[in-house]
Amino acid sequence: MSEKRVVLLVGSPKGIERSTSYRLGRVVLDVLKERGFATDAIHVHSAMRSSDDLERALAAVATADLVIMSLPLYVDSFPAPVIGMLEKIADRRAGAGRVQFALVIQCGFPESSQNAVALSVAERFAAEAGWEWLGALSLGGLETYGSADPALRVAATALAEGKKIPDIALKKAMPAWLYRIGGNIMWRRVAKKNGVARKLRARPYEN
Amino acid sequence: MNALVLDGSRDGKESRILAVLREVLANAGYAVDVVALRDKTIAPCLGCFGCWVKTPGECVIDDDGRLVARSLARCDLIVYFTPVTFGGVSSELKKALDRMIPNILPFFASYHGETHHVKRYRRSPSLAALGILPSADAEAEAVFRTLIEHNATNLQSPRSATAILALDSKSDAKAITRALVETVTR
Repeated sequence: MSEKRVVLLVGSPKGIERSTSYRLGRVVLDVLKERGFATDAIHVHSAMRSSDDLERALAAVATADLVIMSLPLYVDSFPAPVIGMLEKIADRRAGAGRVQFALVIQCGFPESSQNAVALSVAERFAAEAGWEWLGALSLGGLETYGSADPALRVAATALAEGKKIPDIALKKAMPAWLYRIGGNIMWRRVAKKNGVARKLRARPYEN
Repeated sequence: MNALVLDGSRDGKESRILAVLREVLANAGYAVDVVALRDKTIAPCLGCFGCWVKTPGECVIDDDGRLVARSLARCDLIVYFTPVTFGGVSSELKKALDRMIPNILPFFASYHGETHHVKRYRRSPSLAALGILPSADAEAEAVFRTLIEHNATNLQSPRSATAILALDSKSDAKAITRALVETVTR
């Protein structure tokens, strides 16, 4: 029997080396590698900048057994280049009837429930592309800043067996109100360091 | 009143419906600015947060994304015109929406029981969305309506409404568009 192939689509503009999306996706890939999968990772934003790279990415996902997309929530959905790639995949029906598909998504808000619409969009994409939807691991800021690794490994184990990601109880690092206060302090500190603390509330486009 | 229409069509094939939308908005008293996003240079958001903590209120990328963000800050109504794409908006529209984050503040606040960013400008535009589907699709429509409600919450829009037009139906584009605009203008 030939080796199964998994492709990780990294949907963060920060790329493979610097992104939380890749760090989280890597945990899943490592488990799948231990289970005998050949693994590959593609940075979506880079692939969308060049037609040759896009063709290579589309060929890779079309021949994969499993595609996992790891990305941040942007304005209630996926970053634009990710939607662009999904449009291309669905247009061509690349990997239709073959590929199983799962999502790892994280948002900057403490409530992972804010990912819900994006999960529906992913499921609709799978239906339109002819891919089998295996569900998602949905992380809020509270889980991302704690350790989501055990949950990622549980999800990966299910995916390795071709099963849907089960409901996984996630440990929250702190209460939401404390996350908000901590975030607000952090932004002020960064702005101060950049010398723009007094301009944080600037309204350059006001009439 | 100013209406900013973000045309997220991938190919401009639905220009007839867009013309109806423009006419309905004008008849409702709006000065209408239609932006064909496919013709604009709008690079993907870098996720760098420079628009919050380096050049507050302005994206670090100097392209048409800045112009759209400026128009958004000054309009009374923003209108999404988009093919319903997996229940969401098209990549063309999304590239502009991702670049709108300079118009909010980095700070978190609890709003409607969830954490959201605080708005940067005193007023927020109402939001109307006209989604185009090749044929009726209740599931895609439901996802799209929910997405627009969430976007309106994030924008803190005073009013929001969604309409769907299925191209293979005999639906009256003018009546649907008029009802949409009336809902957000009342």
